[in-house]
Amino acid sequence: MKNTRDTQTIFELSRSGRRAARLPACDVPEHNVADLLPAASIAATPPALPELSEPAVIRHFVNLSTQNMSVDTHFYPLGSCTMKYNPKRNERAAAMPAFADLHPYQPAETLQGMLQMLYEMQEMLQEISGLEACSLQPAAGAHGELAALLVAAAYFRDLGESRTKVLVPDNAHGTNPASAAMGGFDAVTLKTTADGFVDLDDLETKLDEHVAVLMITNPSTLGLFEPNMQVIADRVHKVGGLIYLDGANMNAILGVARPGDFGADMQHYNPHKTFSGPHGGGGPGAGPICVTEKLAPYLPTPIVKTLGDQFVLDYDRPKTIGRVRAFFGNVGVLLRAYAYIRTHGPDGLRRVSENAVLNANYLLSRVKHILPVPQGHRCMHEFVASASDLRRDKKISAMDLAKRLLDFGYHAPTVYFPLTVPEAMMIEPTETESKETLDAFAETLFRITEEDADLLHDAPHTTAVSRPDEVRAARQPVLSYPE
Amino acid sequence: MPYLYNTPEDQRAMLEAIGAGSIDELFDPIPAYLQLDRPLNLPPALSEMELDQQLRLLASRNRHAGELVCFLGGGCYDHFVPAVVDTIGSRSEFYTSYTPYQAEASQGNLQAVFEYQSLITRLTGMDISNASLYDGASAAAEAVLMATSSTRRFGKVVVPECLHPEYRSTIATYLENLETEVVTLETPTGVVDPDLLAAAVDEEVAAVVLQQPNFFGCVEDAYRVAEITAAAGSLLISVFDPLSLGILRRPGDYGANIAVAEGHTLGTPMSYGGPFLGIMACDKSLVRRMPGRIAGKTVDRRGNDCYVLTMQTREQHIRREKATSNVCTNQGLFALRATAYLAQLGPQGLRETANLCLQKSHYAAEQLCKLDRFSLAFPVPTFKEFVIRDAENQVAELLSSALDNGFLAGIPLGQWYPQLADCFLVAVTEKRTKAEIDSLVHSLANSETKVTAEV
Ligand SMILES: Cc1ncc(COP(=O)(O)O)c(C=O)c1O
Repeated sequence: MKNTRDTQTIFELSRSGRRAARLPACDVPEHNVADLLPAASIAATPPALPELSEPAVIRHFVNLSTQNMSVDTHFYPLGSCTMKYNPKRNERAAAMPAFADLHPYQPAETLQGMLQMLYEMQEMLQEISGLEACSLQPAAGAHGELAALLVAAAYFRDLGESRTKVLVPDNAHGTNPASAAMGGFDAVTLKTTADGFVDLDDLETKLDEHVAVLMITNPSTLGLFEPNMQVIADRVHKVGGLIYLDGANMNAILGVARPGDFGADMQHYNPHKTFSGPHGGGGPGAGPICVTEKLAPYLPTPIVKTLGDQFVLDYDRPKTIGRVRAFFGNVGVLLRAYAYIRTHGPDGLRRVSENAVLNANYLLSRVKHILPVPQGHRCMHEFVASASDLRRDKKISAMDLAKRLLDFGYHAPTVYFPLTVPEAMMIEPTETESKETLDAFAETLFRITEEDADLLHDAPHTTAVSRPDEVRAARQPVLSYPE
Repeated sequence: MPYLYNTPEDQRAMLEAIGAGSIDELFDPIPAYLQLDRPLNLPPALSEMELDQQLRLLASRNRHAGELVCFLGGGCYDHFVPAVVDTIGSRSEFYTSYTPYQAEASQGNLQAVFEYQSLITRLTGMDISNASLYDGASAAAEAVLMATSSTRRFGKVVVPECLHPEYRSTIATYLENLETEVVTLETPTGVVDPDLLAAAVDEEVAAVVLQQPNFFGCVEDAYRVAEITAAAGSLLISVFDPLSLGILRRPGDYGANIAVAEGHTLGTPMSYGGPFLGIMACDKSLVRRMPGRIAGKTVDRRGNDCYVLTMQTREQHIRREKATSNVCTNQGLFALRATAYLAQLGPQGLRETANLCLQKSHYAAEQLCKLDRFSLAFPVPTFKEFVIRDAENQVAELLSSALDNGFLAGIPLGQWYPQLADCFLVAVTEKRTKAEIDSLVHSLANSETKVTAEV
């Protein structure tokens, strides 16, 4: 049943002279291109794009789509990514012409519905985070991190303080230190303890008046709530620093605890995780940030505000850091998040987190008999198991388990992250999976660990492709189809 | 509750297996004093039907480009989106998958990314494309960072005024806490002046950012700019319009070192400005400095061709603070849409689309300039948009009266360029018909403001 012909590349499928698109005839008096443009600017021929018929285009991409695992087809317990079901009503909302066909420079009077939605989003995100101001502009979590760090830099510049350091725990996501460096700070790694928490002694030695921000992921990338959160926040605040909360794990605490209440001065959201924006095979996301009152003047511009009974874009913000992108933001993602929050309401959002945590703990209670979970017998929305015993005893690695799970129709958990856990398998079931799915997954995982190591080393066996040669890909890079 | 699968019995059984008395107990690790002791103050839950009603209510307060005739551009355009693109973009096997880290479970995405990269290199004439960035402006800022780190020139970057003001602002923000200074080049004639440029570039300049066609729609002498830039050992960053490449020379042809673009015009609707597609392509020599994901072709253990994410030692999940960028989530779905769009258009379709934009915008400019009060602010060749100067200096009134007649007639430029307060930017895509252009001209000719101005 495998279709090899139509999954050849579009370049192989191309035949000179074939066409799919027909454009209308030019209905205005036509000039020679050479009369309109300087000769040196005109290309002799158009770029060498492939030439396909429309049915060929469709068959090609539809066949490619079937070579993917996805939330709509498979259980996808990819830790840190919150691969929950993406409600179809959100897709319908985003496709409505009254939202999709709006130009960003239309006058505000023609955008009142859009601006109202965005205004309500600002307010709702502030309430969920317990923080006082919001910018919807950043395009993804990492972009929100960068924007917030630039907000912090502007704030300290305004205070006349020169602070150069950003503290980042060693189990943080790679975007945290990368954002710190990109924002012009020195990223300083903070140790975590064997239990997976911030090492307070190490914090003590690294904390001084040069620290601008401590970036913390709470619940952490190990799926644990930081027990010393209050102490950490107090100490950082005491030296005049700020707490940044990486909000990638908000799915654990919606309506249960608010970053603003546990010491955060700024946070981003990943609406493409927490609020069910589909991940699109890599994106889009959005990365709205919320901050405390004192940081509000520095937020990117514009922000939606009300003026009488009208919604308007506020550009008059003299202390703003400016922009981190063109136009308003990843509005289509925000609209899906809006639909998600509105259909859940306050109780529903809390229920989301309760069930995300219940599902994760239930799966943990089953998995811990198969693979050790070094950091505790309870978790929040996800947990990190380790295959290091298996590796020692049977030479089976986390990667082997991940690949073999694909044979059984499960997307692999996140492997080898966080870096602090050897042979890490980070498992996040999300609230939209049933007990039966979790049971079946745990049984499969158990069955795999009992299998012959050689079988696992060669896994996956049932997929069209198995164990790509990554070294070759990097050493002899082929990054495009030859012309 | 929507989307919660577990029945109360399931929940009880699960709690029992966990050894917990209640769900609340699972939150015990959060100290009680840090827990929220009240429900969130949010509007109550809506059913799907009520949501639909709420969205329709909001929608009724928007006036979209389907009901108004859109002549707005400035980096976001009302281009046609073929049905094929929507069909492919709404395959949920694509849009509900994550970044293709597990290659065996993601060959569909990976091949699509590989094809996207291949199309972008052909479109731009550059060697290498990445898998996408957030949008055109942030891609331009990333290109600047790439230029400073690869040239080791952290002193300056030259940015002409005719680069999109929001791109300039984005670049400035990215550089705000770094040592690199943004040197803004005045462009009173609407294009980069070679002499002014030559005077501005020196051995401290990492890069010159050239928008082609520029923010005013004007076609730049890109070869000349490239020559001046290269002479100083600086890199040329081209900010191009993908559809213009159906007719115009490619960034690779005129010697750009990095080419970036806003790619929404390749099959993604305007969506109030996002989510969009940041395109980035570069010289071979710069690939190790490239931000973002890159897919490559390789073989698997059985010797079959296949695709993987590659050169990941550039990226944040491996290199952390030493990564080329912090980008993680990108705009994959729009790269897919662009791939489908370009496959559907083919070379002829691209050329014809570009030609329709060119011809129709020229026709519109000609017709508008037949009215006494209007002239081109910059009488140089343009591609699909142009700047109209209103001799009566009544831009706001003019645009507002056009709106009353159903036209989004243009973007007032005074908000970014005080010296152009009497000007507005008009864009004409392949979608605009002669009849629409004629009625726009008619509407502006009979604008109320003219009457009041004469009173
Ligand atoms: C813990 C954590 N922080 C930050 C990010 C970055 O978010 P994004 O991919 O939206 O840029 C991610 C997700 O990839 C994450 O899991």
